[in-house]
Amino acid sequence: MKYILIAALSIAIASCNQSQKSEGGENGSGKKLVVGATMLSMQNEFIVNVSDEMEAKAKELGVELITVDAERSALKQVEQVESFIAQGVDAIIMNPCEVEASSPAVKLAMDANIPIINVNSETSAKPTAFVGSDDTESARIAMKYLAEKLNGKGNVLIMHGFMGQAAQIKRDNGAKEILKANPGMKLLAEQTGEWDRAKAMSLMENWIQSYGSKINAVFAHNDEMGMGAVKALEAAGLKDKVIVVSVDAIPDALQSVKKGALNATIFQNAQEQGGKAIETAVKAAKKEKFEQEVLIPFQLVTKENVGEYLK
Amino acid sequence: MDKSFRLQRFTQYGIFLAFALICIALALSTPRFFTIPNLMIIGTQVSINALLAFGVTFVIITGGIDLSLGSMVAVAGVTAAMFAHPDTYPLLVPLFAGLAAGVFFGAFNGFVITKSKVPPFIVTLGTMTIGRGLALILSKGRPISNLSDSFNFIGGGNVFGIPFPIIILIIAFMVCSVILNKTVLGRYMYAVGGNEPAARASGINVTNVKMWVYTLCGLLSAVGGILLTSRITTGQPNAGAGFELDAIAAAIIGGTSTSGGTGTMTGTLIGALLIGVISNSLDLLNVTSYYQQVVMGIIIIGAVVLDSMGKKDR
Amino acid sequence: MGTILKVSNLSKSFSGVKALDNIHFELKRGEVHALMGENGAGKSTFMKILIGLLAPDSGEIIFEGQELRNSNVGDTLRRGISMIHQEILIIPELTVAQNIFLGREKEISGRKRWASGWLNDISSDKKAANLLQEMGVNIDPKAKMKYLSVAQMQMVEIAKAISNEAKVIIMDEPTSAISDKEVETLFKIIKDLKTKGVSVIYISHKMDEIFEISDTITVLRDGKYIATQSASELDKQSLISMMVGREIDHMFPESNSEKGELALSVRALSKKGQFSDINFEVHAGEILGFAGLMGAGRTEIARVIFGLDKQDSGEIRIKNKSVINKTPRQAIENGIGYVSEDRKGLGFIPGMSVKDNTTLASMSHHRKGIFINKSGEEASTTKMIADLRIKTAGMDQKVTYLSGGNQQKVVIGKVLLASPEIIILDEPTRGVDVGAKFEIYKLIRSLADKGIAIIMISSELPEILGMSDRILVLSKGKQTAILTSEEATQELIMKYAVA
Repeated sequence: MKYILIAALSIAIASCNQSQKSEGGENGSGKKLVVGATMLSMQNEFIVNVSDEMEAKAKELGVELITVDAERSALKQVEQVESFIAQGVDAIIMNPCEVEASSPAVKLAMDANIPIINVNSETSAKPTAFVGSDDTESARIAMKYLAEKLNGKGNVLIMHGFMGQAAQIKRDNGAKEILKANPGMKLLAEQTGEWDRAKAMSLMENWIQSYGSKINAVFAHNDEMGMGAVKALEAAGLKDKVIVVSVDAIPDALQSVKKGALNATIFQNAQEQGGKAIETAVKAAKKEKFEQEVLIPFQLVTKENVGEYLK
Repeated sequence: MDKSFRLQRFTQYGIFLAFALICIALALSTPRFFTIPNLMIIGTQVSINALLAFGVTFVIITGGIDLSLGSMVAVAGVTAAMFAHPDTYPLLVPLFAGLAAGVFFGAFNGFVITKSKVPPFIVTLGTMTIGRGLALILSKGRPISNLSDSFNFIGGGNVFGIPFPIIILIIAFMVCSVILNKTVLGRYMYAVGGNEPAARASGINVTNVKMWVYTLCGLLSAVGGILLTSRITTGQPNAGAGFELDAIAAAIIGGTSTSGGTGTMTGTLIGALLIGVISNSLDLLNVTSYYQQVVMGIIIIGAVVLDSMGKKDR
Repeated sequence: MGTILKVSNLSKSFSGVKALDNIHFELKRGEVHALMGENGAGKSTFMKILIGLLAPDSGEIIFEGQELRNSNVGDTLRRGISMIHQEILIIPELTVAQNIFLGREKEISGRKRWASGWLNDISSDKKAANLLQEMGVNIDPKAKMKYLSVAQMQMVEIAKAISNEAKVIIMDEPTSAISDKEVETLFKIIKDLKTKGVSVIYISHKMDEIFEISDTITVLRDGKYIATQSASELDKQSLISMMVGREIDHMFPESNSEKGELALSVRALSKKGQFSDINFEVHAGEILGFAGLMGAGRTEIARVIFGLDKQDSGEIRIKNKSVINKTPRQAIENGIGYVSEDRKGLGFIPGMSVKDNTTLASMSHHRKGIFINKSGEEASTTKMIADLRIKTAGMDQKVTYLSGGNQQKVVIGKVLLASPEIIILDEPTRGVDVGAKFEIYKLIRSLADKGIAIIMISSELPEILGMSDRILVLSKGKQTAILTSEEATQELIMKYAVA
């Protein structure tokens, strides 16, 4: 109920603004397009980056964007989509919380004939379009990098994200795929660091106690955890001997790559995901032609090419 | 010595005994457990939770509760980080700013609780959310990184081979123990928690005592927040989420009764160490975190059951 | 009259200390049997065993020809033994009827078995109404418990026992918190129960009541059985000497203190709905008694003087200087000490030691800066334990483990250490056994001798008459008389108390 009220209020405010400026982004009746977006968590830096780019792109195209935070709750996300539908938005962008639990939202929107675009991660129900990257690919790139650096031989540790989330499962699949292809690489231990830097640091410290100099490489499912692992390794004086690679290319991680602490990160293009999501949403709302799957490729960032990614 | 008497003795020292037994079991099951470096790591990992647990022990002794610990960690950490970039301010500025944020936050808790008469559970549930929001506002939702080396020393440095967080932990433990056992304020905390109307009728300024308690809790959370920020070299707005539960668990495992009036800092320290030792050793044994959570839950309930058995025995 | 309950050779010890040592007890059908003894004599332990809350170490209990063994509270209740506890156990948010039938909702629902889980409030209200009417009390079965007076709650508890078809009802200090009028009602009900063949075990410290209501008296002392006698064969003096094991000839110490300076004066003190236009003076070395019935406003006046409540109008002067005590803290700073009637609620902190409780109100004398002055604190406590003759295993003993009388002494000690010039004692001997009462009287008199002005509130007329130099009588919040000790008699006080 609360969310409906808030959504109603924001639409009311939005419509006041609309009457003043009327350039671009109009649908058939001359009214400004309204896009509702529900994001996984606005406490996550990567998601905030995606959201910021969506905001910028929406402004550029003259579209009214209402962004709400699902706070990692799939239930809340479904309710938010319901209220978007009730308000009659022209398109919905969803950054799903969970593969299964967020799926009802997709069905609701499809039934209401409102285009729904999944951004960044997937749901089991098929949406109008998907904009994002294939998480499996990011892990493949990371593990291939490790295999190359270790010449296909060595002991590896893997830090998982929250167990059971789409990103964790896919990154795990990708990593295991490459491990299988390189029989010389041995998985020493794997454990969740819950995407969290402090937790990952403690975990790494404990691993160092267990395995010490046997460790050759660490793959962390995200940069936060990768940074935590780097901190712990540095403190133990082992960083020179251990290669660490993680995913996301957050600014902190890029700085670290530049300094030579973190060996590599995988760049997931938040800007492009955000921008493309809005573009696809607008096209779908205007019933123009659009791609059903926009895959934005990952890029390996090492000390050699980090300059391109640092703003 | 009859049975009930022995049980009472056991519950009094039960937590120490349980802790010792678990340590021995771990030392036997993995040779890496009982090594100096590993003990140092446990100490460092425990330090933040222990600091928060000390703070919340004060609060629980007076019969209150503080759920905003984790948010205070984030607010203080982010505030400190804002002033801790290299070549901007001297080290004292971020430290002072972080501590001041915690003190202010804690005092605000105390103020609302004493003025409104709303139960602390509800007030701090509210300020928990407020604090998280403030941390996100201050940091604009992004981690604040690029902190000075001197600031990073607090969480990562060593003095004579001892990690600095452990030194802070020991100092905080001694100061908190002295406050609780040797000062008039400490005595009044037990009195307020033991029987608030009687404490008031004995001329104790109950409002004052509560203000102190929540402010101390804020201060200790801020120390924890600064330690955490320094340890992970970033001010994270979402840091410390859920920390309040670990801290409260440590206090309860250590024998602090949630109905107020009882509790010791030594017990709380052991409680925090117990939690730390278990998660450390389960990592060493490569046990998945799922089982860690189950084990932790059993220990918390076990501790409280032991505590209530001791009470019934009177 | 046949025997319903027979207890022989009953013993029980805690941590090696014998709480009950070879107790004998025989209860006849339809009799009121008083169980007497000082606090700590073993009465509560005995009753707890009877109702199945504790298991005896040895001995046997024969109830209606059958031995009670390994029984729990549920068993004894079903067999017909009910207890009305001193601290009444009710659920305040439920109604009278719901409380009476708590745990037996299915039986009284009147529905078929398969539907009996569905509550039937109409039937339970009606049954409760009948029950209460039979007892001759006027209580609405639909009223929530929390709106009832203590006496009414007690009646509900008795109704509950009757509805349970209790054959033995144990009443633990049933009159400690109710007025004389209400005591009358209670006694009528007890007499009624007797005619129905219900036996009552009656525990009380009030001698007059015991002689009025009971048929037989059994005395316990220090966990041992002393004697059982018919009430008509005993008198007060011999009963007291059986209880304490010695004769107490002079219950109240002689007054020989000199009236000194004016200590406290109260002018036109009023608080809406509680009391109005109260005027009195107390001098140093004087004991002013406050007499009156329950609810006459005595405690309420004390609370205002001590800063626990606010007055609406009027003036309080200490040594002829007008003061306003907004908090107890200010009152203590102004030299007032208050020993509350509500010892557990306002008197002491149960989980804290004798030492910590004793010095709690005087930490300003026992500190060095922010730190506690440990040696000073210990010295003060040692002195108090000696002066007040507090019986405790040591100053680190928790107060909750002390007997009522000794707890009271700790509270008095706490008040004294704050060096007050005026002390208000509210029901100072409530729940205190006879031996300790005498000591507390001596103590109060010696305080007056030292020049402390004392206000003593008491519901026991002999105590008021025996101790006070002057007596202020209150009735329904109004001051009806101030009598001197020479002119005051029980009859005169009662006359003004009901005026």
